Amino acid sequence: MNYANFLERMHNIQDTYGYIPECEIDKVAREFNIPRSKVYGTIRFYSMFYTEPTGKYIIRVCDSLSCHINESKEIVEVIKDYLGIDNGETTEDRKFTLEIVECLGHCGEGPVMMVNDHIYTHVSKTMAIEILDKCV
Amino acid sequence: MEETLFLKREEVKDINNYDFPALKKALKMKQEDVIVEVKRSTLKGRGGAGFPTGLKWELAFKEAADKKYLICNGDEGEPGTFKDRYLLEESPLKVLEGILIAAYAIGADEGYIYIRGEYAKPIRVFSRVIEEAREKGILGENIFGSGFNFDLYLVKGAGAYVCGDETSLINSIEGKRGRSRIKPPYPVEKGLFDKPTVVNNVETLASAAEIINQGADRYLSLGTEKSRGTKLVCLSGDIRNPGIYELEFGQATLREIIDDFGGGLKNGSGLKFVVPGGISTSILLEDELDIPYTYEDLDAAGSSLGSGAVIVVGEDHDLIDLMLNVSRFFMDETCGTCFPCREGNRQIYHMLKWKKNGFTAKERQLIKDIGKTIHLAARCGLGQTSLNFISSVLDKFEDELMVRGDINVEG
Amino acid sequence: MLKVNIDGQNLEVAEGTTILEAAKKAHIKIPTLCYEEGLSIYGGCRLCVVEVEGENLLQPACATEIRDGMIVRTHSPKVREVRKTLFELIIASHDISCELNCLTCSRNGSCELRKVAEDIGITEIRLSPINKGYGEDKSSYAIMREPNKCITCGRCIRKCEEVQGIGIFTMANRGPATIVTTFGDKGMGNVECTNCGQCIHACPTGALHEVYHYESVWDVLHDESKHVVVQTAPAVRVAISEAFGDEPGTIATGQMVAALRRLGFDKVFDTNFSADLTIMEEGTELIQRIKEGGTLPLFTSCSPGWIKFIEHFYPEFLPHLSSCKSPQQMFGAIAKSYYAEKNNIPREDLVVVSVMPCTAKKFEAKRPEMDGDVDYVLTTRELAGMIKAAGIDMVNLEEEEYDRIMGTSTGAADIFGATGGVMEAALRTAYELITGKELEKLDFYDVRGMTGIKETEVEIDGLTVRAAVAHGLGNVRKLMEMIKAGKEYHFVELMACPGGCIGGGGQPIPTTDEIRQKRIDSIYQIDKNKKLRKSHENPYIKKLYDEYLGEPGSHRAHELLHTHYTARGV
Repeated sequence: MNYANFLERMHNIQDTYGYIPECEIDKVAREFNIPRSKVYGTIRFYSMFYTEPTGKYIIRVCDSLSCHINESKEIVEVIKDYLGIDNGETTEDRKFTLEIVECLGHCGEGPVMMVNDHIYTHVSKTMAIEILDKCV
Repeated sequence: MEETLFLKREEVKDINNYDFPALKKALKMKQEDVIVEVKRSTLKGRGGAGFPTGLKWELAFKEAADKKYLICNGDEGEPGTFKDRYLLEESPLKVLEGILIAAYAIGADEGYIYIRGEYAKPIRVFSRVIEEAREKGILGENIFGSGFNFDLYLVKGAGAYVCGDETSLINSIEGKRGRSRIKPPYPVEKGLFDKPTVVNNVETLASAAEIINQGADRYLSLGTEKSRGTKLVCLSGDIRNPGIYELEFGQATLREIIDDFGGGLKNGSGLKFVVPGGISTSILLEDELDIPYTYEDLDAAGSSLGSGAVIVVGEDHDLIDLMLNVSRFFMDETCGTCFPCREGNRQIYHMLKWKKNGFTAKERQLIKDIGKTIHLAARCGLGQTSLNFISSVLDKFEDELMVRGDINVEG
Repeated sequence: MLKVNIDGQNLEVAEGTTILEAAKKAHIKIPTLCYEEGLSIYGGCRLCVVEVEGENLLQPACATEIRDGMIVRTHSPKVREVRKTLFELIIASHDISCELNCLTCSRNGSCELRKVAEDIGITEIRLSPINKGYGEDKSSYAIMREPNKCITCGRCIRKCEEVQGIGIFTMANRGPATIVTTFGDKGMGNVECTNCGQCIHACPTGALHEVYHYESVWDVLHDESKHVVVQTAPAVRVAISEAFGDEPGTIATGQMVAALRRLGFDKVFDTNFSADLTIMEEGTELIQRIKEGGTLPLFTSCSPGWIKFIEHFYPEFLPHLSSCKSPQQMFGAIAKSYYAEKNNIPREDLVVVSVMPCTAKKFEAKRPEMDGDVDYVLTTRELAGMIKAAGIDMVNLEEEEYDRIMGTSTGAADIFGATGGVMEAALRTAYELITGKELEKLDFYDVRGMTGIKETEVEIDGLTVRAAVAHGLGNVRKLMEMIKAGKEYHFVELMACPGGCIGGGGQPIPTTDEIRQKRIDSIYQIDKNKKLRKSHENPYIKKLYDEYLGEPGSHRAHELLHTHYTARGV
């Protein structure tokens, strides 16, 4: 039994549905012959896996120390105001999900935000709005 | 002052332009001899823990098993650290070369490279490298006609800092919650799927490739007696020229790194403190920076070189806000298994969150006790080091942080 | 052998021995919370950390194996200091509130946290409790979860998965958000939980307990218009007095009956009576299936945890299940028909309460096909609580007898409470009914005891009847897989709980293997001391058939005493 492609499977499911639905968890549990609770618990360990639908664009703003001292909080506030949602929430039109996250690995180029797979560095307040506008 | 380029040379991204000189050299050597060479170089793991790489390889090599694994740990996540991302993007072929050399040395025919899910670009780059390497026969059977077989799979992480711990990472590859395992047994005895496994950091493996390529002697000629070779230093924070700098150990003091390479603090701000090795290390103050950048000197200063992340913090920041920021990181990123780490970090966070004025002696004692408990009783390195930052800030800014007239603390 | 020095004492231990085990040998108690004998090592609570010479950091005693020459200090100043702070941290995450919820907790008398506090000498708590703000899981008819009290030691998770072989629980999230939950946070009532309640025994706190019925029982006892009868399962009498401080295995049948009368039950009956009845029906079913080529092996159907298990995991085997209701439900059905009619009690005024060692019985009583024959199910613990609340000094009461006729039983019924007992009782009766001869040796030792899967063969009238017994759902699953793979039996007894009903999820806490064995010994003691030890010899069972049911397997018997099952799947 090889679970080694478990994370890949989950990523693929999420790419398909935008989240990991219960029916797929059931399927994987049956295939690997493990309790479905285990699959569920594993998924919920990882912050990039979602068991509920998210917005089309997941906005991740880094607030770890290097970005934090480069005023990442201001970027977060601008985005919160613009989208009208708080950390961890999704806009009503299911366009945006906002997450304050830990280090994105561009500590020398902060503040940093990520829109789905794309990294933006040296983000200013106006730039943040422009990026969001582009998504709309 | 100039960088010392041992690792940051020949940064080739096109597989057609890369000759894999180190790999070819290694494949002509006996496995034992490759290990001897790396051991001789005294290379230490670059993920933060600093375990001797050659010894790790030797231990795995000596294990009798029908299957062994080599894992490249690309789950870089310690705030302030971005050198593995840099290598994966700029020198992916050298990383691949290091993986292959390590695998050959320990006798692994299968391996994984685990890259954190947030690293979309490195994942793209390295996926293509693996594909191309397979096409060109650099992965697969009988690599370069040597009879050595090896295949490599990329695992994309999914957002969990703790998976940078090697046993957590193994659990994660196995499709489990990424919590640390109880050691012993160590991964070299019983790792991935219970087989002997070597987990090496990206920078470690790239360094190993260059050690084979340029020879251990060249590596030994660099650095100090206890810290050989070079290190990729990640400079960030309130600094004019942040970035990755490759430095020979002992080549520069911390102050020189900040001033000469980093161009000093930005906006002419004064310096509050420096985090010399990522946020799981203790801070150093302005007057503690005239020490050579080596493992031993940072240890002697009561901190650690950690992952190589030097974060410079200017004087305009609120200390409690910074402590809260670091505290939140550890609170959210503990795997949740062991009680001291989970509950200790939660309590510290709560204490900081509502802190308006200074700390009382009682609170200070409590934080000390919690810090001691986490350090002594936590299950893995994450927990054990999780309060270094906060404790050191409290120690070093006692006057600023304590309620006036309330600084007498036992112990 | 390895040499080790623990707290100054030298001893030798076998390779593979942990520090915790070695310390126990040296009569040193190291505090633990996430450790439970028989479960895998978790190494999470860290309360058991000790100093090992040569190591900078403390080592978990539960997970560290002895190395030759090791020097261990289990209670050094450093260790004690760390443990105290650790305990403060644990208690702060445990939902202690200013509503004095420690007093109202299901585990106010058996809390392991309190025991640890006592053991390590806590004199001060400097941290204020953190309100985790989780909701209670009330989705199950049988078991309730209070996640705020949960310290995430994971014992329930491991018990469910490793001993019971199911795994409805998991850890989810990480960091301070780490919780024990079920698939999709659906709650225990909405997943493949069998309601066995073994998780309650695993829990060191009050995060898991039965869904209480005792308040409702108090209400009906005080309601003059109700006629309230109670039945007590065989396993309750050998365990209930533990709740009053008696030694495990103390037999307290007569005292319990007396206490029940004092509580105000109008009649005190015995589930043993309907256990004898079950044997008549199930024995008849077995004989029929063997003679007429019915579906074999026949599976017993008394354990409601097992029933839910097969409905979820082996629905294709449902035709193998005996159609007999469990003794609890047979009692309810007879009480609400025969007994009610005979005594002119309108059905709506008759309340049937049962006292069970079991949490799954609460679910069973709520099954729609059971028509509400049993109104309330108390666990052994709940009854003990009621007796205490009534100020009754149960253990010192004069023994009293059950009421007739539904209080009379044979030894065969008593052994229902132990693993293998139903099988043994059935064989005693089946042998005599088929052969018409008297069975010489009544004791079937092959099917007794704590071995997970037991087998026996009995010659009955030229036929070798092959029987098997499994207890604990982990063993049940193993046996089911053996059967699936082609292993042939005629008759199989399956019990959800380790040790059978005496180890049920509703029994006094603690319930350990040692305690299970003592309760089992007492059960067989009761059987041995009875004059009548075969169900078909129960005179009142005969009377019931003569007066009311006709014969075993009759139309009326089927209407009242048999049921059907639901394929649930996972």
